[in-house]
Amino acid sequence: MADNAINRRDFLKIAAVGAASYTGLSLARKASASGPKGSSPHSWAMVIDQSKCTGCGYCTLACRAHNDVPPEISWNRVIETGKVGDKPVYLSRPCMHCENAPCVEVCMVKASYQRPDGIVMMDYDRCIGCRYCEVACPYGGRAFNWETFTGPNPAVPTWGQPEVPRRPRGVVEKCSFCYQRIDRGLAMGLTPGVDEEATPACVVACQVGARMFGDLNDENSNVSLALKNRPYFQLRADLGTKPRVYYLSPKEEVKA
Amino acid sequence: MNAIRKLIKPSPFFLWVGFLGIIIAMGAVAGVIVFTKGLVVTNLNDLVPWGLWITIDLSSIAMSAGAFLLCAAVYLLGLKRFQPLARTATFIGLIGYSMAVLTLLLDIGRPDRFWHAVVYWNPHSVLWEVTMCVTLYLCVLLLESAPILGHADWFAQRWPGIARRLQSIHHYAPYLAVVGLGLSMLHQSSLGATYGVIKARPIWYRPDLSVLFMVSAMAGGPSLTVLVSMLAARLSPRIRVDDDLLERVTNFVGWVLVGYLYFRFWDAFSMTYTYDPGRTEGLAFLTRGQLAFNFWIGEILFGAVIPIILLLNSRTRRQPLVRMFALALVVGGVVAYRWDTNISGLLMQLSYLPQELTTLYTTYFPSLIEILAGAGVVAYGALAVTLGIRYLNIVKHPSVEEEAVVVVEPATAAAD
Repeated sequence: MADNAINRRDFLKIAAVGAASYTGLSLARKASASGPKGSSPHSWAMVIDQSKCTGCGYCTLACRAHNDVPPEISWNRVIETGKVGDKPVYLSRPCMHCENAPCVEVCMVKASYQRPDGIVMMDYDRCIGCRYCEVACPYGGRAFNWETFTGPNPAVPTWGQPEVPRRPRGVVEKCSFCYQRIDRGLAMGLTPGVDEEATPACVVACQVGARMFGDLNDENSNVSLALKNRPYFQLRADLGTKPRVYYLSPKEEVKA
Repeated sequence: MNAIRKLIKPSPFFLWVGFLGIIIAMGAVAGVIVFTKGLVVTNLNDLVPWGLWITIDLSSIAMSAGAFLLCAAVYLLGLKRFQPLARTATFIGLIGYSMAVLTLLLDIGRPDRFWHAVVYWNPHSVLWEVTMCVTLYLCVLLLESAPILGHADWFAQRWPGIARRLQSIHHYAPYLAVVGLGLSMLHQSSLGATYGVIKARPIWYRPDLSVLFMVSAMAGGPSLTVLVSMLAARLSPRIRVDDDLLERVTNFVGWVLVGYLYFRFWDAFSMTYTYDPGRTEGLAFLTRGQLAFNFWIGEILFGAVIPIILLLNSRTRRQPLVRMFALALVVGGVVAYRWDTNISGLLMQLSYLPQELTTLYTTYFPSLIEILAGAGVVAYGALAVTLGIRYLNIVKHPSVEEEAVVVVEPATAAAD
């Protein structure tokens, strides 16, 4: 009987501790993992003009060279999406660098994270290769390294020189807005989006000027002006992911 | 001479263990190939990154749910007569979770970094919570299973000191049951939420998935425990089971299945009214497309309806073979549910192209390496449970043991 009494008391104690820790956990979960932490003077964004894009795919090739991406992976895909009149319309799709990034929220080790300037980054040394981010990304923006990328990169040197190390087998990789070019450019006093050295490789490679890159915090940047002057849309805006890649619609060409 | 005779006419036990051994060996070879060559040897790809292994992982965790349920029944609700079954369920749970860990090690791209989830926390990720709970619960199961080893005669005779210490852990069984209940309720449902929180895939994106995973695990776990107990009693002349206990648990399983079918019905039925792009298509994919057979036959008819009839009708429930058949169907139904849930969201994807929310369909069939490695993990589980039955007496019901020869069972004594 006495034994029982002690047990009951201890049981209640343990139950209380359990309830408290559960409450703590659920409170911790309320703090959203996504959304930029800290502050940055910059807020990077990309604008892609579908009325100019010819679907040449230079952006994909330049990306493969500068980021040393294997031929079977495209950080930036170019897809034909239909026609306006007789003209085919293309959609070029880098990582959307969502403000509410599903990949960042689901990553269990915080290998996917957001920089204060909005870039969704991958920590390739931390990724365990569970591929939950791939499952969660609505844009198919992520690719897993199913095998080691060995041998020469066919995009090098025609389309540029690698600026970042190759990723090992077993981790997920994706577009980084060429953060290495942005960071180095800023350190050299250049302006990303204006100076080629500081601008993502896909933007530099675009021959028809269909891509723009710049700072949304600067209201005179090319991206801010483009978004002010023309109607734009974002991919799957209904999901609430708030992509940092904006598209300018392909217009029906009006004959004068 | 004896050895030769054994080779010519091996015992069924020897044949069974040998059969499992061969599958485990093949699985081990497949595992080595996966670790050396990488996941390129699987049929997984960037559209279908999760496949057969994740199904085995989810199923073995669901099948381990008997452990927390029966431990809670015995130590928290005070239903002490179920203690022998809790013992069986705990051991099965330990093996089930170790199977899950093995499969996960195969499945992740960097198994050398498995410990990252414990060190680098993202409390917002459901999968992080699952990983933490599984890790902690595996420790709980180890502690809960320790007295089983401590009570094994061959162990206690050789190392009486260690055995006594292991047995004494049983004193903490009620506390372990509380922790086990909390951890299990968290991660059994979070495994459903792992899918349920993914907005990109409308067929998954619904809160009921966590409830359905929990309820189906509550049916599948005890089913396997009872099934294993009955099989052990049928196949081994020295094992006797208290059929009244098993029947009661089976009755419980029948009612849980009724609850499961009820939730499942409203879950599926309400989906037909949402007209969310992708969700209507997803439901059609499940009920009329590639997965229709799995869904209607595997999950609903064989997985729920027939077992409900057979298990809630006392006449059929009391017939051991019918009961075992129905329990096996429940286990199969839970596995089918896990498979369908995972694969339905992956094979069917929404396009992100503007003004064109088309649905893309892809296919997946596991590669030979995936099948061999998966079979190896399942065979390991079967072997571990077989050896547990034989050498650790995990199926032992003292109330019906006729030979009253030194039935050392301080386990029940301590629970009093």
